[in-house]
Amino acid sequence: MRKGGELVKMTLKDLPQQDLFGPGNAGCRGCGAAIAGRQAMKVLGARTIITMPASCMATLSGLNQKTAWSIPFYHTLFEIAPAVSSGIRASLEAQGIKDVNVVSWAGDAGTADIGFQSLSGAAERNDNIIHVCYDNEMYMNTGGQSGSQTPIYAMTSNQQKGKRTGKKDMLKIMVAHDVGYVASATISHPLDLAEKFKKAAAHDGFSYIHIMAPCYRGWNIPTDQSVATARKAVESGFWELYEVVDGKKTRTHEPSFIPVSEYLMSQGRFKNLSTEQVKEIQDAVNSHFGRKEAK
Amino acid sequence: MAKKLPIVPSAKAGSMAEAPSGIIWREQHPVIGDKCNQCLECIMFCPEGALKLENGKVAVSLELCNGCGTCAFECPQKAITMVLEFSGDRGIFPLKEGKS
Repeated sequence: MRKGGELVKMTLKDLPQQDLFGPGNAGCRGCGAAIAGRQAMKVLGARTIITMPASCMATLSGLNQKTAWSIPFYHTLFEIAPAVSSGIRASLEAQGIKDVNVVSWAGDAGTADIGFQSLSGAAERNDNIIHVCYDNEMYMNTGGQSGSQTPIYAMTSNQQKGKRTGKKDMLKIMVAHDVGYVASATISHPLDLAEKFKKAAAHDGFSYIHIMAPCYRGWNIPTDQSVATARKAVESGFWELYEVVDGKKTRTHEPSFIPVSEYLMSQGRFKNLSTEQVKEIQDAVNSHFGRKEAK
Repeated sequence: MAKKLPIVPSAKAGSMAEAPSGIIWREQHPVIGDKCNQCLECIMFCPEGALKLENGKVAVSLELCNGCGTCAFECPQKAITMVLEFSGDRGIFPLKEGKS
């Protein structure tokens, strides 16, 4: 953030107190998605139009004739949230309105699986929208089935011995689309998330932000541990916080490399993991960060 | 050529706050103690937006809180304690200690 030409670090006191999303939402206790939504809306501001496909977030933020949003919110079909956002942006451009952020906010299914074709299309057209994926790593709105964003060995409601394949790296896929701004974020680092939304809103063109948002039901953690679990994922190196601006990758938070087992074993969905499997995941994290041996 | 579009029902902005759902199944609520130094971390981590800065102090809106306990766990000063209770349409009945 810049103040009077000088680069200063943003603090929590700089964020507005007003909530454009949140009060009264029907989320579960300690809902990671709702936390992500509140943190993001503090930066995006009132001049924002949001589209959302079928997901937990759409359900918890609007039931019957009530809504938890104070901004225009459009509930789209499952596979077309980025396409609807593109249309809204085209309409705004035709009317000459320039100060509005158009956001499509989807879950991991609406981004990586069912909604992928329209996302890829919007990225290829480089439409001036922000696509946000809040990733709870399962299809939680339909009962916790595994999807392409579920990590390896995690137990889900339809794969009770654990998933056999790894997580699809959506961030790399979006970087491969050659879009201007791609970033990963999580709810335990709100200032990091806020900076990224600020950059995405300022970027003229397609931006993609992938937020890890723990879900206490699916991950089998106590309700007060959503934020703590996200922090463990970051500090163990399991979830890397970075941004890619015009193809150049910068890590925005250096993890302290706590053992990955600390992150995995605090969750019920990984309770079936053997020592070898934990070591396999630890080795994968070590090789990703170019480290020799975990201590 | 302007079409006559049908009038569809739409929701009033922020209307879910008038009838929050979490209060019906809340089992505990936060009480903010004297150690609070207004670092505002709990406000960022509240899923419901139940915590607000009022007159320079962090205040809990019991209309909105659904009792997840994230604020108490994340507070760097450990200034927030969770108090067991029954809640619902008739108000809040705090539980005595040891009777949970």
